[in-house]
Amino acid sequence: MDKKKVHIILDIVAIAALIGFMFWANASFNPYNKRIFNTCCIYAICALSMNMVNGFTGLFSLGQPGFMAIGAYVTAIFTVSTADKVSIYKIIPISDFMANLSAPFPVALILGGVAAAVFAFLIGFPVLRLRGDYLAIATLGFSEIIRICITNMQGVTNGPTGINRIPSHINMWVSLLILAVIVIFTLAMMRTTYGRALLAIREDEVAAQAMGINLFKHKMLAFVLSGFMAGIGGGMLASLVGAIGPDQFKFTVAYEILLMVVLGGQGSVSGSIAGAFIVRIALEKLRFLDEPIPALGYPGIGGMRMVVFSALLMLVIILWRKGIFGNKELSWEGIGGFFKLIGSIFHRSPKKEVSE
Amino acid sequence: MSALLETKDVTIRFGGLVAVNLLNLTVNDGEIVAIIGPNGAGKTTAFNLITGVYAPTEGDIIFDGIKINGKRPDQIAKMGIARTFQNIRLFKDLTVLENVLIATHLNVKTDFFSSVLHMPYAMKEEKKMKEFACSFLEETGLIEHKDDIASSLPYGLQRRLEIARALATRPKILLLDEPAAGMNPKESVDLTEFIREIRDKFHLTIILIEHHMQLVMDISDKIQVLEYGRTIARGIPFEIQNNPAVIKAYLGEEEIN
Ligand SMILES: Nc1ncnc2c1ncn2[C@@H]1O[C@H](COP(=O)(O)OP(=O)(O)OP(=O)(O)O)[C@@H](O)[C@H]1O
Ligand SMILES: [Mg+2]
Repeated sequence: MDKKKVHIILDIVAIAALIGFMFWANASFNPYNKRIFNTCCIYAICALSMNMVNGFTGLFSLGQPGFMAIGAYVTAIFTVSTADKVSIYKIIPISDFMANLSAPFPVALILGGVAAAVFAFLIGFPVLRLRGDYLAIATLGFSEIIRICITNMQGVTNGPTGINRIPSHINMWVSLLILAVIVIFTLAMMRTTYGRALLAIREDEVAAQAMGINLFKHKMLAFVLSGFMAGIGGGMLASLVGAIGPDQFKFTVAYEILLMVVLGGQGSVSGSIAGAFIVRIALEKLRFLDEPIPALGYPGIGGMRMVVFSALLMLVIILWRKGIFGNKELSWEGIGGFFKLIGSIFHRSPKKEVSE
Repeated sequence: MSALLETKDVTIRFGGLVAVNLLNLTVNDGEIVAIIGPNGAGKTTAFNLITGVYAPTEGDIIFDGIKINGKRPDQIAKMGIARTFQNIRLFKDLTVLENVLIATHLNVKTDFFSSVLHMPYAMKEEKKMKEFACSFLEETGLIEHKDDIASSLPYGLQRRLEIARALATRPKILLLDEPAAGMNPKESVDLTEFIREIRDKFHLTIILIEHHMQLVMDISDKIQVLEYGRTIARGIPFEIQNNPAVIKAYLGEEEIN
């Protein structure tokens, strides 16, 4: 049997195992664990959004919280019922037009993604002409501006109070399905000439341009796709949590996503997903650090888990700069190589004689 | 017959430094023209002007009858000017094949969504581009390295890959910036042969920056000598070899004999 066939069989086995896991988890996970899984999927989508720009195109953008907020609010406004909206908007009553906006969840989610993409397109014109750190600062600024607008546009967003009673349409299957669609889209795109052009820009802008690649057009493509994905992530988050407010989209969210992408390996889809799952699960599992531990006389310091977690990440990044996957993808060859490596550690061949 | 590429009194200043001063370069179809001169003479800057990396402070650059100064590098590449770089600039983390495939980008017609959806037409074009890219790798003797990471190639092959990549944009004119740098005498003889070969096979016009005099004298139809941004001599190799100003500025007594 040739390698290709083996890999196809392994792929089928892996997909079957994943589906099996989903059935099992759906039946046996408690709501808390299900929620962690959903959050992981949503952040994986946000990490893929950042990876599109930072990992594939080699730009440094931190606009995710802004795009997520746009997606979240659009999804919320289109899915909360008219009656609920009227009762939620207390300080400035909601306009009839806004109150009557309504769409099924999938449509509302896509509208959220599209709205974020439109914003990405508009701010892309000024910011994509910036380089390196300047782009990071400008996109971070964009996120903050969006948050401040949301806080102050009382009649549209209900201001600091936010919007609640967002119907939940997120379950484990929905999360996984949307993540899968985005992963397949990304992987398919990276195999086209458009995807390769992004990689070329990352590797060497000057050479890419000399090969006829329009830098601005391709950076814009990556930026708009990234905005769309983050918008979808934000919309899912709104539907999962049921309530959104401007505080959920602080710039710290951008750092969290950045950590996921860097930990997983910039430029790797597998890495972004692994990074998102590791970071989200670790943040949950380290929660005990915020609570007192009487047996150790530990008083419990709020935010301690973030300190420990950040320190762990710093270590990983210092010792393992390229992240878990580097810019490679998870592959059967890679897994095979990994096991061979492990095997060679345990079965050391007899020491070779040193002859000089 | 009008020239394929012509620069007219092209000048560029970086602050107080005039890196290229009143450059008049005429390159006819099918010629191999060498630009030589001491370090810092403005040779690479001349390439950067022709390929649109810099816009000239003064003067015009005419390619195929069209004024190209002020156009972006990707637009100029599209019109048919390709180049290699003095300090090799490959897409280091990508494979050899991907490096060349990226250069076929200009000829891809499928739109974004059809490509991503892997529509039959898109797949057919992708396959065609791969074959096209492989043909350049065969041409340049790199086909057995097609799945290697570009930065893992030995130096000489990296230079070849840069040429293969430039060829894959289907240029009319190819600019080579010190292609023989770091090569031993045998390798540079091979390179001379190779440059002639690709010129004939792809009906190219070539401009060459090179310090390696043997190669320059063997291959060039015309030579233009720069010093401090100015042209101090131009002519056929024989004339340049015996031009006292050139000898003084650049060649040095021992290289002549
Ligand atoms: N972007 C720039 N800004 C300022 N000065 C520049 C710039 N590019 C080139 N120069 C200067 O212009 C002069 C010509 O440089 P150039 O690289 O064209 O020389 P060269 O003839 O290619 O030399 P070499 O043989 O060393 O490659 C040098 O003095 C260089 O420092
Ligand atoms: Mg130079």
